[in-house]
Amino acid sequence: MTRTAGASTPRGRGPAAAARPVTATLANGLRVLLRPMRQAPLVSVWCWYRVGSRDERPGLTGLSHWAEHMNFKGTRRIPREEITRQVELAGGLWNGYTWLDVTTYFETVSRDAFEAMLRLEASRMTECLYDRREVDRERNVVISELQGGENDPRTFLEREVAGTALQAHPYRWPTIGYLSDLRSITRDELYRHYRAHYSPGNAILVAAGDFEPRAALALVRRHFGRIPRGPAVPPVRTVEPEQSGERRVTVRRPSGAAYVHIAWPAPAAADGDFATLLMADGILAGGPTVNLWSGGQGRGPSKASRLYRALVDGGLASDIGTAVIPTRYPYLYSIQATVRAGVDPARVEAAILAEVAAVARDGGGDVDRARARNQFMARFALESESVTDVAHQLGFFETIGDHRQWLDLPRRVQAVTADQVARFTAARLDERHRTVGILVPAAAAATP
Amino acid sequence: MSRRPAAARHAHRPAAPAGVVAARRVVLDNGLVVIVRPNPATASVAIHLSLPAGAAFDPPGQGGAANLAARLLDRGAGGLAADRIALDFENLGVAFVARPRLDSLDVTARLLARDLPFVLERIQVIVTEPTFPEAEVAAERARILTEIAERDQDTAAQADERLAAALFPEGHPYHAPASGTRASVERVGQAELRRFHAARVSPIGAVLCIAGGVDEKAAFELARRTFGGWRTDGRSDDRPDGRPSPGVTVNVIPDAPAPEGFRVIVHPIAGKTQADIALGFVPGVHRRGDDLQAALVMSSVLGEFGMGGRLGLEVRENAGLAYYAHSYVWSGLGAGPIVIRAGVAPANVVRAAALIRKVVAEFLRRGPRPAALADSRQALTAALPRRFETNPLSAAILADCEYQGLGYDFPDRVPERLAAVDRAAVMAAAQRYLTPKQAILVVTGPDIPPQRLA
Repeated sequence: MTRTAGASTPRGRGPAAAARPVTATLANGLRVLLRPMRQAPLVSVWCWYRVGSRDERPGLTGLSHWAEHMNFKGTRRIPREEITRQVELAGGLWNGYTWLDVTTYFETVSRDAFEAMLRLEASRMTECLYDRREVDRERNVVISELQGGENDPRTFLEREVAGTALQAHPYRWPTIGYLSDLRSITRDELYRHYRAHYSPGNAILVAAGDFEPRAALALVRRHFGRIPRGPAVPPVRTVEPEQSGERRVTVRRPSGAAYVHIAWPAPAAADGDFATLLMADGILAGGPTVNLWSGGQGRGPSKASRLYRALVDGGLASDIGTAVIPTRYPYLYSIQATVRAGVDPARVEAAILAEVAAVARDGGGDVDRARARNQFMARFALESESVTDVAHQLGFFETIGDHRQWLDLPRRVQAVTADQVARFTAARLDERHRTVGILVPAAAAATP
Repeated sequence: MSRRPAAARHAHRPAAPAGVVAARRVVLDNGLVVIVRPNPATASVAIHLSLPAGAAFDPPGQGGAANLAARLLDRGAGGLAADRIALDFENLGVAFVARPRLDSLDVTARLLARDLPFVLERIQVIVTEPTFPEAEVAAERARILTEIAERDQDTAAQADERLAAALFPEGHPYHAPASGTRASVERVGQAELRRFHAARVSPIGAVLCIAGGVDEKAAFELARRTFGGWRTDGRSDDRPDGRPSPGVTVNVIPDAPAPEGFRVIVHPIAGKTQADIALGFVPGVHRRGDDLQAALVMSSVLGEFGMGGRLGLEVRENAGLAYYAHSYVWSGLGAGPIVIRAGVAPANVVRAAALIRKVVAEFLRRGPRPAALADSRQALTAALPRRFETNPLSAAILADCEYQGLGYDFPDRVPERLAAVDRAAVMAAAQRYLTPKQAILVVTGPDIPPQRLA
């Protein structure tokens, strides 16, 4: 005999909310979040900057990402190879990334190397070199990264959809930048961008791991406390004008499959409707994550979700995916499908829209809503266990607004009602606000 | 009170938890090896079950059978329909994945600890009683065929596939891609899947690891209660190799012959903006060989440490030719290849390939600098606690080490083995495995005349 698990009656209590960090703001404006976690002799240090592709303009797209690359090229006190060497000798994992709102660098290392990582990040904040020869070499590396991404035809579709759905806000251009800009950006433009945005007043230092918070804060003060606050960074002024009708875009590229990508304007992370969107996404696609760093790892598709059952089980698509991305300003919610061979993409588009319309009518129903809620709660707990994940999540949300928005998400998601889901979906995920992109496989000869 | 589980009739004497492993192992009566690693700091559990049913054991002409079987395990099992299985897992927020690797078919789940009994019971049904319904087989096969069409246009996937096909002769278990080819996948139906499952999925040779917020004794007892009754017929195509993991059956996979010379394969894919380079060497390292650590240190110095070792330094950092350039050693039940990979702008392919070969030649001539050798040794040793930080990683590593015949406690022996790696050992490994005159260079992407790469 086999048992079944009921969606409406989760057994036991839900996972406890993630513990709050110790917080401080230094006199120079550096925001500090420290979260002790003693399960392993490790510490994860993340230094976040409130700068991303939103802080660029046409002609200079890709500056933030390229600057991130340059900040691995050595500082006045730390030679190029030493930056990664110090981390790896401490058993560490290191990396950095640039996104719409943020640029970040991290090291997860043995606890004994905590102070060395603070020293490294303080040096990276203040004294990177931007050697002209290094800038020229890295231009090729960044262009290679761009072109590697473009080998996946879906990159073109995503870029077209974002650029069509957003017509004014700087979220519309790709984080990596346009090829023409990457070919012409100068060393001095890169360096000015670095100096304008890398300062304590525009940064958040986060650590999670095996340390005592008071001693850790003293170390942070020692290494960052004397750095001048830096210039104030202006907020993005442009507000995306409201869309007033469906937009469509077709991309023709050599491709092994056709793809459908539909996007709608999405609420910012601080918006009360963000949790409602998470619930709607959970009903449609199952198990939403708000962890951009590791949220996709170790998971298969949600086979009980409405989109999977309609599209994949329905024989229309070989794969589906959705994206809910926490952002400072309103961005996009998207649903993507890989069209099964021999199927008309129009049928896939129609099936996606039918499922969205059904959620607008029923708000997900009690069973699907309970499942989406349970999936979110479990996923939140599972993604709050490693020092790297916790430091990432605290820092990411603090950089786009406030870390408490992340800590509070379980409560907010649990409180979402069917009526809220229905009203949100009907009003926001509708024909008037959507942008539909189709990638049609094209013969190679017809492409550049 | 003894901490040895009552069910552990064939158990080794459990070693006291120490080092990073901190786990215990028992062998059930049916041969299933069970490893439990309690981690009281977490409220979650990771399950990792490695089954001797990887893509290397696809029947002749049925490449992709393991992949199809893995993807269909949860699409109907026992008396349960696919929908019921999916709903039950997802109602609890369980992350369940079954996927084929070359050597094993791995079933993994990540869940809240409170749900362990239910999930383990359900996994037992999925693994031992899959029904492979005709409709599900047809649907999954169609999905895979779409993925193969996508893969045919993927420069990175094609570089890996064509390198493997060139390094391992036709008929070798590592020759074909794990997902199969269009033709081979179309030959796999319900009857073939049932035969494959009956022939390959067995407690003999399987390893179950449970890591996370569990009581050790209760977890062993739960595993025995859930999987102890699993019985299958003997496997005629397996043979014990006498390695230090009683209960595990290890298939012997033959070494690939070294290429007859240096050969260039260019696979043009239209419409691409970047080329992928793959340079491979066989026969490679044996996972249970005495020089595994020396080979790993060699690869770290050559193409992994920092921004990609010496390769990353020369190709990416100094020459600015690639977004990535690195090496890796892959080794499983059989000796895998040693591979150097790079992603390069089409205009730089010839220069980058020449520079990669020059770096390899210089490494063979001069060997690692003492400081670089010491750095790589220390980095590999110091990384061990981090690799065991999370439950899924811990479960995957322990299951893999046991499955591969190294013993679940192998990670605790790694520091000592790394400490013994000296310059002579690295040089010996380099000379044995890096054979520039007997290698395969694959370039995928925009067309490049092969003669410019020779």
